[in-house]
Amino acid sequence: MYIDKKEVLRYLGYHSKKIDTITNEIIDTCIEEIKEIANFNYVYRIFPIEKKDKKIFLEGTSLIFESKNLYAHLLNSKKCALLAVTLGNIVDQKIRYYSKINLSKSLIFDAVATTAIESICDEIEENIKIIAKKYGLHITNRYSPGYGDFPLSYQPKIIHLLDAQKKIGLTATPDFILIPRKSVTAIIGLEDKPSINKLSSCAKCSQNRTCIYKKDGDTCEYKKNNR
Amino acid sequence: MNIKKIIGKEFIFFDGAMGTMLQQAGLPIGELPESFNISYPEVIYDIHKKYIDAGADVITTNTFGANEYKLKDLPYSVEQIISKAVSIARDAAGNKLVALDIGPIGQLMEPIGTLKFDEAYEIFKRQIKAGETAGADLILIETISDLYEAKAAILAAKENCSLPVFCTMTFQQNGRTLTGTDPTTMVHVLEGLGIDALGINCSLGPKEIKPIIEKILKISTVPVIVQPNAGLPKLKEGKTVFDLTPEVFSEEIKNMAQMGISIIGGCCGTNPDFIKKAKKYLEGLYPIKLNNKKLTTVCSSTKTIVIGNDIKIIGERINPTGKKKLKEALRNNNLDYILSEAIKQKEAGADILDVNIGLPEINEKEMMPKIIKEIQGIVDIPLQIDSTNTDTIEAAVRVFNGKPLINSVNGKTESMKSIFPIVKKYGACVIGLTLDENGIPKKAEERAAIAEKIINTASSYGIPKENILIDCLVLTASAQQEEVMETLKAIKLVKDRFDVKTTLGVSNVSFGLPQRKIINRTFLAMALSFGLDAPIIDPLLESNLETIHTFNVLANHDKDAQNFINIYRNDSKKEEPKKLEAKKNLKQIIIDGIKDEAAQKTKELLNSITPLEIVNNYLVPALDLVGNKYEKEEIFLPQLIRSAETVKASFEVIKEHLLKEGKSNISKGKILLATVKGDIHDIGKNIVKVLLENYGFDVLDLGKDVPIEEVVEQTKAHDIKLVGLSALMTTTVKNMEQTIKAIRENHIHCYIMVGGAVLNQEYADMIGADFYAKDARESVTIAQKVFQ
Repeated sequence: MYIDKKEVLRYLGYHSKKIDTITNEIIDTCIEEIKEIANFNYVYRIFPIEKKDKKIFLEGTSLIFESKNLYAHLLNSKKCALLAVTLGNIVDQKIRYYSKINLSKSLIFDAVATTAIESICDEIEENIKIIAKKYGLHITNRYSPGYGDFPLSYQPKIIHLLDAQKKIGLTATPDFILIPRKSVTAIIGLEDKPSINKLSSCAKCSQNRTCIYKKDGDTCEYKKNNR
Repeated sequence: MNIKKIIGKEFIFFDGAMGTMLQQAGLPIGELPESFNISYPEVIYDIHKKYIDAGADVITTNTFGANEYKLKDLPYSVEQIISKAVSIARDAAGNKLVALDIGPIGQLMEPIGTLKFDEAYEIFKRQIKAGETAGADLILIETISDLYEAKAAILAAKENCSLPVFCTMTFQQNGRTLTGTDPTTMVHVLEGLGIDALGINCSLGPKEIKPIIEKILKISTVPVIVQPNAGLPKLKEGKTVFDLTPEVFSEEIKNMAQMGISIIGGCCGTNPDFIKKAKKYLEGLYPIKLNNKKLTTVCSSTKTIVIGNDIKIIGERINPTGKKKLKEALRNNNLDYILSEAIKQKEAGADILDVNIGLPEINEKEMMPKIIKEIQGIVDIPLQIDSTNTDTIEAAVRVFNGKPLINSVNGKTESMKSIFPIVKKYGACVIGLTLDENGIPKKAEERAAIAEKIINTASSYGIPKENILIDCLVLTASAQQEEVMETLKAIKLVKDRFDVKTTLGVSNVSFGLPQRKIINRTFLAMALSFGLDAPIIDPLLESNLETIHTFNVLANHDKDAQNFINIYRNDSKKEEPKKLEAKKNLKQIIIDGIKDEAAQKTKELLNSITPLEIVNNYLVPALDLVGNKYEKEEIFLPQLIRSAETVKASFEVIKEHLLKEGKSNISKGKILLATVKGDIHDIGKNIVKVLLENYGFDVLDLGKDVPIEEVVEQTKAHDIKLVGLSALMTTTVKNMEQTIKAIRENHIHCYIMVGGAVLNQEYADMIGADFYAKDARESVTIAQKVFQ
């Protein structure tokens, strides 16, 4: 697991400004600690897809995606990989623990954990890329529930299809929060020619008005990956 | 076939995978397989029949996820699915048995997730009742990762049906379940709950399960089940595959049978061939009887403490008797203070924590379970439930995640009659006090006699003496000097005669004498040499720990004095407490964010200036400076918070000082904070809290995922003028809106401020909030405006 300190600082809002020595040291300790305790697990599965009436059908399953933005994302895709990754709940427990004795550290630990989960996703994406290559296909970036108009309500459906609760201990609450907290579900398209990303501009995103990232002068993972 | 009669005497074969067979039959994935009981009953029947033909003694209904949570979007009820599933299995089973399958709910329980223990219990209860009504022969709770969920399911089964209950949990290759439970802890907790058989299923193949099952077989006193996958699942080209053949699988099963397992089945990737082969491999063999000796243990969900090997420390600090600050915290619902006491004791080396919240003005029965849940969410050591109220004990023991220690029962008939049923039902350990209707006897002999009565009566309830710790009771040396030695003699007597473990509330001995520490330390050493196993002490007192560490060396517990050397090797270095740089003033300490220094410096300052002067001359200017730096982006959130926590440390010293002086607080007003129902993001709320406290406000923090009614109730009860609500998700903002609505509908006159990532001013107006706080600093400005 590679944890990029620059990314950690980005999550903490530093925007390449200089950090004080104590914060710097705490980040280093947190990185070491995460590497030691995180018990990351993942599962993915590749499905052929069929597109009809602006809907995406995962063949052999009863799952149908209805989202304009996801449809655009998978425009040239013949298959898609469904992916679920989690750092496990020991990380959640640590964040909770630190929030009681050292709030500042819990904040940093949280940012380090977010960086870690994204980095694991990157690694798995590489695996999927290799599989895609065998079929002579390219891959799209990751697309997750909550991006654009693709609603969070797909979380439990993806978890169910991947049997992710049994396999990696991932669940979603009735309000669609993934638990353990540091988890990601995503869709990666396998396409015969690399597509141009329609969503690479924030202005076109349906979340533009209330974007939680933009508020902090930042962008979501999707936008970041498409920069 | 009477399963209770043959269990452990003959091998019992369950079936193999259901999911694998459904996929092979070509049924669509993504749909709930439980619905197939209605839509494809013949396919389900066929699968069951194949397993029966392969030789299974028990088949498992297709009801893994047949709970009301997972079925909520289906047109069928839990009862419909379960009764149909049982009847299909019944038809296929002939004279063989049908097990009602119960898998995990699919939601993680609090504090990891949002599902409450009682909700989980109710969900399981519904399945179990439906299963028994439909005619299942036994209950199989399986593929459980969370020990807490297993407990809810087992309790639901034991309290609502009369069928045998089996439970298997699923482990990872690192030897723990996904929520961190180790096999030893699982055995102690599940056995305590009265399970008929326990074991492992799913996740791993038989080879990987073997080392874990070995640990279970060493301690289990009930029959052990194994239902492995057909090998370790591997991802191939984006698909999961299992690669063991029935032969290799069966060879491994035979291996484990020779180690002591007696109930066998298969999980993911297995099919009737696996069961047939396994049965063949075990022909002519009989299970090995497990002859494990019971141990005295208490457990959290991830840790087992065995009492009797070396000295175990029970931390006594969470007890309001004589502690002003703790009393204050309990009255104000200040759980953070209680948690910090728990953390401190654990870090100091406590193995178990006593939890006593007995204050006349507190609803103990309500508060105790709440506090137990909070502590077990943060600290991973077992707890000792300490109360004089039977209902409180039961409520706390019920929600405790692990095997608790109950403090206490005594030799009075009434006490035993009320406490022992709880001890038995929840598989707890209990402390037995050697007193009865006639009080505490003077002589050791008489106390031993009461111990004997307690042990024998417990036995009549089916409680083994291993689950009892005898407390021979300490009397104070200042008042009853001649009886101090009687306590010690009694320890030796009960240990020699009854072979039980002992505990003792050591510090009682020094009441009324000066320099209590010295008396306690010496008495502790004496008691240990008389055979005390688990002293109840203050683990933050260095002298107590020194005595125990030394005793462990001298009594040959600490081999080669390794632990002792580790702790005290560098002791010369820590002799003198760190001296502060004289020049550094409190303001600078806050800007630098060094908590310990702030506390010390504040103590120094209190000798010369008033609390208010400290606040006005140091804390407020420092906060303003740090706040400005933050706004100018010279420092960032982690630093801002570090400084805020430093101010908090300083404030705590001031508050304690005021409390000692008997003066009232310097509070500027009380604010209620909560992360709304359904939402579990509380970092933002915690940041707001620490900043508000910095500016002199009292914060009543209700935590996260707070039910709407609780916000309303507490706002009323504490006469709150400003409520702060936080939500991070678009999906939970609706709960924020409903919370606001409920407050308004109850005609509570208070202001409401809201914050959280998905909110903005417009949205805040729309849901009826008075203020929108774009960040934590803004919430301070709002509070200042409200309380002007």
